Amino acid sequence: MRRVLHAVLLGLLGAGILHIAVLLLVPKLTERSAWSRLATASDLYKMTRLTAETGGAPVVKSVDPLFAAIACRFDLADGMVQVKGPPGTIPFWSVSVYDRNGHNIYSFNDHGASKGLLDAVVLTPAQMLEVRKDLPPEYQGSVFVEAPIDNGIVVVRSFIPDESWRPAVMQFLGGSSCDLRQP
Amino acid sequence: MLKNVFLTLLALAIAIGGGGGSVWYMLEAQEGVGAIRIGMWTAFPDIGTPEADPYSKARVAREGVLALGRAEGLAFVAKQDSGGEQLRRECSYSIEGGFPTARFWTLYAADQSLDVIVTGKPRPAALQSYEILRQPDNSAIISVSNNPSPGNWLPVQGTGTMYFVLTFYDTPIASSTGLSDVVLPQILKAGCNA
Repeated sequence: MRRVLHAVLLGLLGAGILHIAVLLLVPKLTERSAWSRLATASDLYKMTRLTAETGGAPVVKSVDPLFAAIACRFDLADGMVQVKGPPGTIPFWSVSVYDRNGHNIYSFNDHGASKGLLDAVVLTPAQMLEVRKDLPPEYQGSVFVEAPIDNGIVVVRSFIPDESWRPAVMQFLGGSSCDLRQP
Repeated sequence: MLKNVFLTLLALAIAIGGGGGSVWYMLEAQEGVGAIRIGMWTAFPDIGTPEADPYSKARVAREGVLALGRAEGLAFVAKQDSGGEQLRRECSYSIEGGFPTARFWTLYAADQSLDVIVTGKPRPAALQSYEILRQPDNSAIISVSNNPSPGNWLPVQGTGTMYFVLTFYDTPIASSTGLSDVVLPQILKAGCNA
């Protein structure tokens, strides 16, 4: 009897250890993370609609029904990534940079951009040093996001107050680009 | 000998079943660590940030969520009315009160997986602050119902449990110093179509 009790206690201790181990491994091993889903949907540096087109499940669940969102994956080991949007007046847009695990590292919205234009460069601190030495004119109005990561996701969200705004918002998102740049 | 094998297997079964099962249970539960409750509304200001607790991190990874950043907004979810009863799609509710400072907010009715309820009509089960009619004191009254109602109408459809999701965009409350003084509207039950 004592040996059964011993085994049960040992099992509970093991369960505790396993609980912690599984919890910490879930983010690393899951194939349902935003990164994995985007990877099956499209390539690196390619803007992808997150919301479902008519029919089909959405790539990544876009939370708000009054929003449209696009995303692209990047790898800073290849170089910097520049996200640009066309000029235009739409009610609200915001940009978020996520690391591979889906953690929001940095976010800003149209009020935080120069001249209200969507132009952001995501780069590592080392690339930032390189760019600072001699700022090329094409980055004059850019918002620089220093991120100490390799892989990540940039998401652009835009508000659609009502259906009459949808064409303008779609044109804005459709005209946005995600490009690899060398520092 | 056989007894030893049995005891080892028992210990392993408890360890693997209990360890895996408890993680699964914690991740399925809606209530999480790090939640902030204001009235009937719940928010997770830390979710999706590197400061989040391990349970939130695992949930973010497993559900493939890309949470709103601090400069974007903060979402509150309600699953009960102010009387403490579960929200039902076949019932009518009145959402009344003032809203905290934000550039704009959106409100939508959601099903269990927090997707917007499909109304089957051109009008979605979602409202936003630019189209809201307000009271003289700047508060708002929103009727949630299957049937059209005057003023601000949030159409819903069907039966079953329902959630309200209220998201504030570009708001100082997301940067969390003043979350304790925030007052959110009440959810009052108006009646049910049995």
